[in-house]
Amino acid sequence: MVTARDGRTTIAEASTQLPLRPLRPSISFVPYRTVLLSTASLLIAFCIWQLLSTVLFNPFLIPPPLKVFRTAIPMLESGEIFADVSISMIRVLVGFITGSLVGVLMGALLGRIRLLHDLLDPIIELLRYLSPTAMIPIAVIWFGIGEMSKYFLIFWGTFFIVLINTTAGVWRAPIARQRAAECLGANRLQIFVLVVVPSAVPYIVTGMRVAMASSFMSIIPAEILAADSGIGYLLQKSSMLLQTDRIFVALLTICVLGFIVDRIFRLLVDRVLARYMSFVSQT
Amino acid sequence: MLRVNNVRKVFESARGTYIALDGVTLTISDGEFVCLLGPSGCGKSTLLNILAGFDQATGGTATFDDRPITRASRERMMFFQDAGSALLPWLSAEENIRFALRVRRIPKAQWPAIIDRFLRMVGLDMHRAKFPAELSGGMRQRLQIARGLAVEPQMLLMDEPFAALDALTRRRMHTVLLDIWQRIGKTIVFVTHDIAEAITLADRIAVMSVGPRSVITRLIDIDLPRPRDLTDLKVAQLFNEIEGLLAAPDETLTDQRMEMPR
Repeated sequence: MVTARDGRTTIAEASTQLPLRPLRPSISFVPYRTVLLSTASLLIAFCIWQLLSTVLFNPFLIPPPLKVFRTAIPMLESGEIFADVSISMIRVLVGFITGSLVGVLMGALLGRIRLLHDLLDPIIELLRYLSPTAMIPIAVIWFGIGEMSKYFLIFWGTFFIVLINTTAGVWRAPIARQRAAECLGANRLQIFVLVVVPSAVPYIVTGMRVAMASSFMSIIPAEILAADSGIGYLLQKSSMLLQTDRIFVALLTICVLGFIVDRIFRLLVDRVLARYMSFVSQT
Repeated sequence: MLRVNNVRKVFESARGTYIALDGVTLTISDGEFVCLLGPSGCGKSTLLNILAGFDQATGGTATFDDRPITRASRERMMFFQDAGSALLPWLSAEENIRFALRVRRIPKAQWPAIIDRFLRMVGLDMHRAKFPAELSGGMRQRLQIARGLAVEPQMLLMDEPFAALDALTRRRMHTVLLDIWQRIGKTIVFVTHDIAEAITLADRIAVMSVGPRSVITRLIDIDLPRPRDLTDLKVAQLFNEIEGLLAAPDETLTDQRMEMPR
């Protein structure tokens, strides 16, 4: 093979692009070993927790696991915890779904229309550093302590994450795929809707998963500072009354809830969007 | 008929100006199989992109059937090296072809017959329900070919379509492609850096010089019957001749470039 005459590397044909290929999340197959190790991991954590609360620290500061469970049972039976959970969940879902919708729509346009991107990108790059928590004080003034302020805060957090991921995904839709569609006779709108946006689905889904986790993190401070219901409010109220056991119940609830919601999200993606999540390796 | 006359292509970037093509002239008649042969960076893909209409020449003209090429058209179908990114990975083999027929607005009643015909032509009719990720590299490339042919283009533009395949699969793909070409009689412009591949396939080889300022240094007609055996004396001579051309020292290339009209 002949390369460049004077040993320089030539650049003209080096522009073939390598799209990112995230692994498809697989939850359908959980090996026996993993189940065993997960159980062990939880058991060990409980033992350490027990030790910390009884031997090393004051059981009032760190209530032991059994005490926490004993506190949790009446809260579960009376339905008190479920009321708080469902209130928080509805807030998260409303904010998350609207934020994702607007984020995907705007992200798709920004990824496609250069002028719009160049015009809005500087503002987005600045605004995205305003976390939902930073927006709580002004949200309370704008929307009061009712539901709207919580919807707004979750929307705010979700929107930027989904927007940025969607823009990146649309931007990175393989050129070859778009050009091939163009040759086949697709018009610009068809290329956008039938080729570019579906190509961005893995990026969009990743953005939404991150945004879901972030929503769970933002709803708590929002409810602590500006609510009279929800898990965050439960935390706040228990703290005021120095009920550490109830605080721990609320904290555990957040952990379990986040985990379950992420699993459900992945299951839905696996069911509905599986074919858009598969990537073809570079031959 | 495809005519490329004195085409120049200049890329302007922040790093400066790069003259990729500097006076490329080539005429390709209908039904011909032409290989653009040259080392990496000689601008053969640049030229192919201009022929497809993805890119515009900075100077000179490119016409197809006497109409200037200004944009991509269904008459000239491009085939990409990475079939995996050219295909729609969320659609099965059959659905990929259906996508082509849909955007091409071919009446639905004709779809089953067309899909059958072209999947069979490339030997994928048993794999029609598989997704591109479930196909091998060679099968994926065959699917891209079937999809492109299904919309009946006048001309096939192929950008190193078999370069990423293993030697055995590549040889099989050559047979498949030649067989299809002989059956449908469409013009093929095939970019490659592989001398053996060019000799195996082409009616005519356009040898390009290394960039910057690439030109076609030589047009070689191959009158040998197919299939061509690389150990055959005439074929081997041709191979050596082309290898010598590609390895030509700077002076020769410079001299030839001076003769090119500016």
